[in-house]
Amino acid sequence: MEPAPKKRWWRWGFNRWLVLLFIIASVVTVYGLGIAPVRPRVQLPAEHVPAIPVVLIVLAALSILLTTLVRRWEGLLAAGWFGVMALLPVFLKFQWTNTLNALVIADGLLLLLSFGVLRALNSGTLTPKGVAGAVEALLEYLYNITEGTAGKWARSVFPWFVSITLLVLIANWMELIPGVDSIGVLEKATSGTTGYPIQSLTSGIATLVQSAKGAVTQETYNLVPFVRVVSTDLNFTVALALIAVVMVQVMGVRAQHAAYFTKFWNTKTLFTKPIFGVIDFGVGLLEVVSEFSKVLSFAFRLFGNIFAGSVLLFVIGALIPVFAQSGFLLLEFFIGAIQAIVFGLLTMTFMAQAMQGHSGGGHEEA
Amino acid sequence: MNITGADLIGAAKLIGAGLAMIGAIGAGAGIGIVTGGAVQAMGRNPDATGTVQTNMILGIAFAEAVAIYCLVVALLILFVF
Repeated sequence: MEPAPKKRWWRWGFNRWLVLLFIIASVVTVYGLGIAPVRPRVQLPAEHVPAIPVVLIVLAALSILLTTLVRRWEGLLAAGWFGVMALLPVFLKFQWTNTLNALVIADGLLLLLSFGVLRALNSGTLTPKGVAGAVEALLEYLYNITEGTAGKWARSVFPWFVSITLLVLIANWMELIPGVDSIGVLEKATSGTTGYPIQSLTSGIATLVQSAKGAVTQETYNLVPFVRVVSTDLNFTVALALIAVVMVQVMGVRAQHAAYFTKFWNTKTLFTKPIFGVIDFGVGLLEVVSEFSKVLSFAFRLFGNIFAGSVLLFVIGALIPVFAQSGFLLLEFFIGAIQAIVFGLLTMTFMAQAMQGHSGGGHEEA
Repeated sequence: MNITGADLIGAAKLIGAGLAMIGAIGAGAGIGIVTGGAVQAMGRNPDATGTVQTNMILGIAFAEAVAIYCLVVALLILFVF
């Protein structure tokens, strides 16, 4: 028997050296050059940035290219949509914000993903590899959950579940990309807000610094990033929550027709049971309130988690510039995934409840 | 050192935001109870893991929603008012 080849005790990987390089680079920039991250001015509403139609036109061109590649007409629809988005700021008085940039990028990534999977499907292989395989595994997992909850209505609920989950997932994970929230235009700090002095790196590119040391001017500046995570904008989360809750009603009506509304206007037992009939009627009216509170809780759950997460990343980055943020990035990776799953899962569960009628099943409010 | 009204308002904001987050206590306890129950259930009946897990995530989401309301109030106090 041949002796087993001696294992090398040290493998010359590539990625580990890259990580080491980045660690050394971050230590050198922070302590050597003195360019530590500052705590940015945080504000709740999305900042206004000049519209970047170039991004949209590129995305539209990309969609057309992909259409010709996979020979499906859906790409033209996407191209048209990006084109309309690019023209909106031109014709309407339209505030283009940095979260809209993030939304467009997330949509683009989602389109790329779906075209990639479509291409893998059209190629005829039964065992998809790479991204397509990962997407297939994810969809299978999600479909099993849907089937367990919604039963025979799984097929009509599933698309809503998955599209919401995937969009929110990609939108949340954009927070982890370097450059998001940190590359943008400098704006002079107005009176009443705190700003930071700047230090120029090369011509035209400057960075905010903690304290005035080198060649600095008297004015202080703040950063308005080009891209800010879209989930930190209440407009996005409220819109998504409204879509989800309205579609829950639509699904309920589709499955039960007019009988769906007896959930809200419950006169079935009003005259047959003396006192409990009135209570049932009151509970039905409370269901209306609960539908509205669903919108609120959907919107604020996503917004609160992601906004707090990005503020956490800012603060940790300013307090401990090296190493520490990596751990919190891992936490945010986890939270982003959980929130995306929870948003989709709740939509799916509410839809299933609405379709299965009033009999049985618990009533959860949140 | 002069303490102006604006300073007092700023201090009150910070205190208010801190107080608003007290509500996270309940959500923390709630999430702990939910997860503890779910883990016990999964230990006793591993075949039911899928259903238990889905319902556990739902329960956690409902418990967490309360903490998130507190968080939103705190954020509103800090960044809006």
